[in-house]
Amino acid sequence: MKLRVQLQCKNLHEYLKELSPEILDRLYNHPATCLAVYRELPPLAKNYVMRMLFLDQPLPQAAVALWVKKDSEKDHDQCVSVLSGLRLWHSQQLQGGLQGNILNPVFKDNLRIALLGGGKSWADQGDSLGPDRHARDVESLDKYALERWEVVLHFMVGCPSAAVSQDLSQLLIQAGLMRTEAGDAPCITSAGFQFLLLDTASQLWYFTLQYLNTAQTRGMDLVEILSFLFQLSFSTLGRHLREFGLVFQRKRKSRRYYPTRLAITLSAGVSANSSSTAMGATPGTGDSGFIVVETNYRLYAYTNSELQIALVALFSECLYRFPNVVVAQVTRESVQQAIANGITAQQILHFLRTRAHPVMLKQNPVLPPTITDQIRLWELERDRLQFSEGVLYNQFLSQADFEVLRDRAQGLGCLVWQNVAHRVIVVSPQGHGEVKRFWKRQKSHT
Amino acid sequence: MVNVLKGVLVECDPAMKQFLLYLDETTALGKKFIIQDLDDTHVFILAEVVHILQERVGELMDQNSFPITQK
Repeated sequence: MKLRVQLQCKNLHEYLKELSPEILDRLYNHPATCLAVYRELPPLAKNYVMRMLFLDQPLPQAAVALWVKKDSEKDHDQCVSVLSGLRLWHSQQLQGGLQGNILNPVFKDNLRIALLGGGKSWADQGDSLGPDRHARDVESLDKYALERWEVVLHFMVGCPSAAVSQDLSQLLIQAGLMRTEAGDAPCITSAGFQFLLLDTASQLWYFTLQYLNTAQTRGMDLVEILSFLFQLSFSTLGRHLREFGLVFQRKRKSRRYYPTRLAITLSAGVSANSSSTAMGATPGTGDSGFIVVETNYRLYAYTNSELQIALVALFSECLYRFPNVVVAQVTRESVQQAIANGITAQQILHFLRTRAHPVMLKQNPVLPPTITDQIRLWELERDRLQFSEGVLYNQFLSQADFEVLRDRAQGLGCLVWQNVAHRVIVVSPQGHGEVKRFWKRQKSHT
Repeated sequence: MVNVLKGVLVECDPAMKQFLLYLDETTALGKKFIIQDLDDTHVFILAEVVHILQERVGELMDQNSFPITQK
């Protein structure tokens, strides 16, 4: 009866699939969006889109199916579902009565514009402003971005030095990452813990999605925000965006936005390739991982970033602290404490893997099997009993009675357990009312 | 007439089930809580003892573990 909330980190495609068709169509009116969506497609789907980009008539589905060999049927099906889910193509009746596919015309036109040029220019304000007297170079932008993001994470962990605006803390509360008792400062929830252990790209996405969800309630136009976001990530150069560290604005009134590296990663989405160099740098550590895990359960974190140390301390006991190293030990108590706070073993292991020191990356598997197995076992220890509420029916007078009731419960989908030999069934509480009524009717009939 | 009982279905491995039967026999939780013993891996218990039961299981696991490492 424990509820473990798993943090779902959707990527661009899943988010778009959930939007309504009208919003999607309006979104596809901007070439930047089309290009971003195109980039995220799997390679086969990109191929399909390219082939159909300049056709004005629908193509029979049989012809499309011929483009793949027999053994790649699965990839073909997956492609088809991705493309239809994003409403990139429709089915249309051809003259001969066959089913054909044609690209969404809005998407098609705008992708053409994106690839070939033309249409309204995206960065139309940049040139008219003239050279910037206070131009910042890439490095300081990066630093700024990482600083701001760390402040947000610090705030979540509860460090007193971090201060964020009211709006941001409201957003965190609405996203379910923190909660606030009456009048007290907000404190972190179990979903918040899970969020902290994700890698930066996933964190960014989750946060932006939450912000987009609340933006609708504030009356801001979803399409405008999304297209602005996409445009940002494509240029070589928001009150709220400024706070996340996505853009840099020298003063609140200045008209220039400098998109930071964080914003560019946003468009790249949560890809499976998390070793990409662009955002591989975790804050405060330079360009590589920094954790070494030994088979005696010791953990060495070569960092002096407060945030990273706080994260490591979530699931391990810190033993010693030096100017450049923190020595910690992963113990049963510390891991079970973390699990009681809502973090799963999978997340701890993911955290360790993504921040593994290059020396660790050389061995295969990256983390010692003893450690991974033991952390999972410590998690399973708490789950030895599984509870489900139910109602027990036994002492049936005849086998036929038992079977009738059992089949009815199964049909309703509320049968939890049954034992045919002893004629016992357990039904879920929700189904109990219905089954009881059914039984009364049965008895009055026979 | 069919007998209807409300409670909680517990699923566990056979070893853990023996521990539950032991707790029940010695009324370690203050009262008998097993309504029916269903099979090797399932037991039907009273709804109110769930929390105390989790604690007891936790204590059992703590008793059986030892610190692996030295500081």
